[in-house]
Amino acid sequence: MTDLMTDPETISRTRTGATVEFRGLRRSFGATTALDGLDLTVEPGELVALLGPSGCGKTTALRTLAGFERPDSGKVLVDGEDITGVPAHRRNAGMVFQSYSLFPHLTAIDNVAFGLRMSGIGRATRRARAAELLELVGLPQHAGRFPHQMSGGQQQRIALARALALRPRVLLLDEPLSALDAQVRLTLREEIRRLQQQLGITTMFVTHDQEEALSMADRVAVMCAGRLEQCAPPAELYERPATAFVAEFVGVMSRIPARAGADDGTVDVCGRTLPVNGTLPGAAEVAGGKGEVDVLVRPEAVEVTADGEGTSRIVGASFLGATTRLTVRLADGGEVTADVPTHTATTLPVGAAVTLRLPDRPVLVDRRRGNGGGDRG
Amino acid sequence: MSAVQTAGGGTRTRSFSNRAGLGSASRRIPRSARWLGAAPLLVFTAVVFGVVLGTMVLGAFTTPQSAPGGARLTGANMSSSLQGPYLTALLGSVKLSAVSALIATVVGLPIAHVVVTSRFRALREAVLAGSGVLANFGGVPLAFAFVATLGNAGVLTSRFNLLSHGWSLYSFWGLTLVYLYFLVPLMVLTLTPALEGLRRQWREAAHNNGANAFRYWTHVALPVLMPSLLGGYVLLFGTAFSAYATAAAMVGSSVPLVTMQIADALSGNVLVGQGNIALALGVDMVLVAGLVMAIQLPLQRRSARWLA
Amino acid sequence: MARLNTLRYGRAAVLTLTGAYFLVPLACAVAFSIGAGVPGQDIGFEAYTGILTAGGFTDSLALTLELAAATIVLVLGLLVPALITVRLAAPRLRTLVEIVCLLPLVVPAVALVAGFSAVLGWGSDHFVGTPLFQVLVELQNPQFPLVLVLAYTLMALPLAYRTLDTGLAAIDLRVLVEAARACGAPWPRTLLHVVLPNLRGALLNTAFLTLALVLGEYTVAAILGYQPFAVWILAISGSQAQMSVAVSVMGLLVTWVLLLIIATAGRARRPKETS
Repeated sequence: MTDLMTDPETISRTRTGATVEFRGLRRSFGATTALDGLDLTVEPGELVALLGPSGCGKTTALRTLAGFERPDSGKVLVDGEDITGVPAHRRNAGMVFQSYSLFPHLTAIDNVAFGLRMSGIGRATRRARAAELLELVGLPQHAGRFPHQMSGGQQQRIALARALALRPRVLLLDEPLSALDAQVRLTLREEIRRLQQQLGITTMFVTHDQEEALSMADRVAVMCAGRLEQCAPPAELYERPATAFVAEFVGVMSRIPARAGADDGTVDVCGRTLPVNGTLPGAAEVAGGKGEVDVLVRPEAVEVTADGEGTSRIVGASFLGATTRLTVRLADGGEVTADVPTHTATTLPVGAAVTLRLPDRPVLVDRRRGNGGGDRG
Repeated sequence: MSAVQTAGGGTRTRSFSNRAGLGSASRRIPRSARWLGAAPLLVFTAVVFGVVLGTMVLGAFTTPQSAPGGARLTGANMSSSLQGPYLTALLGSVKLSAVSALIATVVGLPIAHVVVTSRFRALREAVLAGSGVLANFGGVPLAFAFVATLGNAGVLTSRFNLLSHGWSLYSFWGLTLVYLYFLVPLMVLTLTPALEGLRRQWREAAHNNGANAFRYWTHVALPVLMPSLLGGYVLLFGTAFSAYATAAAMVGSSVPLVTMQIADALSGNVLVGQGNIALALGVDMVLVAGLVMAIQLPLQRRSARWLA
Repeated sequence: MARLNTLRYGRAAVLTLTGAYFLVPLACAVAFSIGAGVPGQDIGFEAYTGILTAGGFTDSLALTLELAAATIVLVLGLLVPALITVRLAAPRLRTLVEIVCLLPLVVPAVALVAGFSAVLGWGSDHFVGTPLFQVLVELQNPQFPLVLVLAYTLMALPLAYRTLDTGLAAIDLRVLVEAARACGAPWPRTLLHVVLPNLRGALLNTAFLTLALVLGEYTVAAILGYQPFAVWILAISGSQAQMSVAVSVMGLLVTWVLLLIIATAGRARRPKETS
C-alpha cells in the first residue's frame, strides 16, 4: 500500500494514465445548451486544458466525466469502457474544485484519508498513506490543521492530495487556481504540472485563463457554445488557429480590412498581395470572388513605420518592457494592435502618421466584420 | 425563552467585530461620547432586569414579609422548590421538554432539507413564513387548534371515536404532540441557515472519493450539521421548558409542569404565602435555562465558523 | 433514473406528512369553528361574523395593538442606536451589548413575571406615600399597563437583536457612512437618509416579529391580571368555544400572510442574495 507514492518512478511504471473520450455529448439546462455535441479524446498521461469563455460548457464537460452531470445524449468512455451510466462514487476520478471543497469538520490528514476510509482501508494504513500524500504536496506539517486554519493555496494543495489519494485513473481540475492570489497561482500551477508529469496521470484542467492553459497543458481544447473549436498543442493553437474564434480568443489578434486577390487563395492587404493561410470558414467563398474580407494578424507580425503620407495614425502606446504595444487607427476607423521594439518606439509618438506592413507570409482571413476592428485580449 | 431565529439569521453576523481601528466615520465624535448610542439600551436592561432579577433572587432566599419575624434570609424556599410536588413538576417539565425537543429535531431535519433544496421558491417562502408564525406566535391559538381537533370534543376525536381507544390530548403524549406544533417549525428555522451553508462541493467531493449518498450523509453532512443540530436541540429544549401558555390553554392537563406551578403559586391558587416559593422556582428555571444557553452558544459559534 | 424517482417520492412523502400534521389541525379548527364535524351542531359562520361584536374583542385587540406599538417603538429606539454605535464607534461594546440582548433568553417568561409581580408587590408595600409609589401605580394602569411594555421589550430583545444584527451585517455600514460623510452629509442626514433606508427590511422584520410576539403573548399578561388579545381568547373559550377557535385561526392566518408579504417584499429589493 505504501510503496507507490514515495517513489515517483514506481508510480509512472506501474500506472499509466487512462484514455478519455467524449462522444457527441449533449446537455442542456432548460433553455441554455451547455454541451452541443462535444467530441474530444484525451491520450493517456496527457494534460488537456479546457479553455473557453464562461458558459461555453467546459465545466459541464468536466462534471459529466466526474459523474455529477448526466448527458442528454452521447457517451463518456474511459479506456474504451462506457462509463456514462456509472454513478459518481464508482468512477475513480479524482477531482479538485474551485474552492471550499475541503470537509470543514476534518483535519487536513483526515480530508486526504477520506476516500481511503470510504473504501474500507484500515486506519493505520490510510493515515500512513495520507501522510505520504501530504508530503507529496509539500504540507506534511499541516496534517492536524482544519481547513479554516489554512490559506486558500494550502487548502487547494490538500484538495489535490485528496483527489490523488485513491490513485484515480483521471485527475479533474475545475478552475482550481482561480480563487487564489496571483503569486500563489503561479507556484501552484508549476507544482500541479510537476506532479502530473511525475505521476503520469491523465488530467483535464478547466480554466478561463488562457495563459494558464497555454503554459501548463500538453494540448489545449478551446470550446465555444458547447462545441470543441480546436484541440491542439499551445504553439499550434497560437500559430495556426483553426477558426476565427480560436484566433481571436487565444492571444491578441487584430483585424485589417482586405480584399480578395485576383488569384485564388490570395488577398490584397496593406498594399500587397499575400497568400491565404488555411481555410477559415467563410473565407473560401469570398476569396474566390471579389469579396471584402478581414485579415487577422498578431501584434508581433505588424510592422509600423513612420510615414508623413500614411493614412493610419498612432492613438495609443503602452510600455511592456522590451516591446511597446501601439494602437494604430486605420483610415476606415478600425484599430490594429502592433508590438514594436521599445527602442524604435521613440520614433513613433502618439499622433504620428504611419503605414502598416505585413511580412511576406500566408495570412489568416475571415469574413468581414463591422468597422469597429476586432481587437481583443 | 421564546423563539430566537429568523430565516436568514444566525450565520453571518460578525464581519465587523474585530476591526479595532476607528475610521474617519467616528472622527468627529468625542471619545467619551462614543458609547452614548448604546447607553439607553444598557441603562434600560440594567435597571429593569436588575430590579426584577434582584427582587426575584432576594425573594427566593428570604421568608415572606407576613411570616412571623418578617423577612429574613433562608434556604427553605429553594430546598422546598426541589421537593415534593415541585420536584415532580420540575422533572415533568424536563422530561416533556427533552422528549419533544428530541422528536422535533429528528423530524425537523428532513423537513428543513426538503424545504431548503426545493425548486419551488413559493413553497420555501410559505413554509419559512409559516414556521416564523408558528414558532413565534405563542401557544394559545395553537393549543386551541389542537383542542378543536383532538380534544375531548374535537373533530377527529368524535369522528373516529378516539376516546374509547384511550386517547387523551391532556396526557404526556398529547402535550408532546401540541408542543411539536411550534417546536418543529422552530427547528426548521434554526436548521435552514445551516443547511444552506452545506456546499455542493462537499457532496460532490464525497462522491468523488467513493462515498455513496448514505455515506455522504453519515460521514460529511451530519457531522458538519452536528453543532447546529445540538444547538437547535438545546434551544428547543429551552423553549419547551419555559412554555406556559400552551399548557395553560389546555385546561385540565394532567401533566405536572414547573411553569404551571409557578403560575399557581403566584396567583395564590394553592396556598397563601407561596410567593417566595414561586420565586425560588423561578430561580430554578433561570438556572436550567442558563445551563442550556451555556451549551448552546458555543455550539452555534462553531457551526457558524464551519458553515460561513 | 430509479434513484431519482425514489428521491422524488421521498420528498413527496416528507412534504405530505408534514403538510398533514400542520394543516389537519388548522382544517379541523376551521371545521370546529363553523360547527362542521361536531355532532348535533348546525353549520354556520356565526363564530366569525360575531367576532367583531363579541364582548371584549375590540377592547382586548386595541389594548394589544397599543402595547405592540409601544413595544416596537421602545425595542427599535433602544436597539438601533446601540447597534449602529457598536459597529461604527465602539466595537468594544459589542460583546456587552450581545450579552445584554441575549440575557432574556435565560429568564423564561414565567420566571420574569414572577420577578415583576414580586417587585410590584414589594414596592407597593414599601413606597406608600412616596413619588415612587405613583410610578408603580402608573406602571400598572389598567388602561395601558406600561409594565407589560417593559416585559415585552425584554422578551423581544433577543429576536430583535438577531434580526437587526443580521440586517446590519448584510450592508457595509462603515463604507456607507464614510461615503455619505465624504459627500458632505452631516450625521443626522447620514443616519436618516442613508443608514435607515438600507435597513428598512430588517426594521420591518423586527417590528413584525415583535408584533407577532405581543399578539400571541399570554403568560405575563395573564399572570399579572390584564386582558389583551390572547388572554381574552382563553377567557371566552369556556362560554364561546367556537369563537375562541375561530379567532385563533384568524390570528394565525393573518400573521402568516403578513409575514409572507414582508418576506417577499424584502426579497424583491435584494434579488440576489448571496448564500
